[in-house]
Amino acid sequence: MNAKMFSPVRLICATLFFFLLAGVTAHAADKPLKLEAQLVLGSNEVQTNGKPVSAQIEKKLKHLPLKWQHYSVVNAQQFTLAKDETKDVSLSGECQISVKDLGGERVKLTLKGNGQNVGNITQTLKKGQALVAGAGTGNTIVVLRQVD
Amino acid sequence: MTHEQQLKLQAFLDGELPEREAREILSWTQRDGAAAALLAELKNTRAAMSKVGPHLSLPESREFFWSKIEREIQRREPVAATAPEVSIFAALRRWLLPAVAVGALVIAGMIAHFNVPKAAVETVADADTLNVESTLANADATTYRDASEGTTLVWFSSTADDSAAPDIKPSAIN
Repeated sequence: MNAKMFSPVRLICATLFFFLLAGVTAHAADKPLKLEAQLVLGSNEVQTNGKPVSAQIEKKLKHLPLKWQHYSVVNAQQFTLAKDETKDVSLSGECQISVKDLGGERVKLTLKGNGQNVGNITQTLKKGQALVAGAGTGNTIVVLRQVD
Repeated sequence: MTHEQQLKLQAFLDGELPEREAREILSWTQRDGAAAALLAELKNTRAAMSKVGPHLSLPESREFFWSKIEREIQRREPVAATAPEVSIFAALRRWLLPAVAVGALVIAGMIAHFNVPKAAVETVADADTLNVESTLANADATTYRDASEGTTLVWFSSTADDSAAPDIKPSAIN
């Protein structure tokens, strides 16, 4: 063995390289996404029998160009998705969704009405962000977000 | 018999004596029984040695052979004693390149750790990440993005019935 092979500079470089590689690899590892899907009913009258949406979501919804003033939660489900995992969630008899974790906080939401695919939405969904989807003439919307 | 006489006998046997001395030694061995016995003993020893290993002979005298080795050693000694000169460029290359590599690694590590360019990357990524696909026939999707709240609205509606869409302000549609 050549003594030059183990020179201090080379050892330092090799150590730094492996630390960097380990750090980047650990950073790049995708954590499972903890998500919440809510089926929200929109109306222009105050709902007395439904649970109002949280203030955070209400603020988000009121910033959107929707025609409703009041929003209440019909159904809410929390679930965790690992990378490349897909989960089917039934929010009501008519509304189902399918969510896939594409990695890097990117999700694919498939909206279904009565079991029929309506459309796909692919977007990065970071904490604090929300994806709102609706279809047709109904007054219900799906709100998908990361749980804090 | 003296030690010198013994050496003369050995030289005679090796053929190293001048012709006159060789004749004297030959006649001495014929006269002296001890000398003849020693000569016979030396001959036997030489014969035995030649059977054991190869007989190596030098094409030149020992003195000349060793003087050549001595001269060669003296010729090489100054070269070996002088340390090779290291140029400034070689010295810089030896230390500068590893130093630059270490610096680059440290900077890359800091960037990866503190996510300095992450905000810029995210801004570009956010703008490009939304992908909407309507799977129904004669259906369309309307998209609205509220950057301040980080909310994206997607509404799927049939193109035959635009009235089904929510009250989305046209100016706000992306």
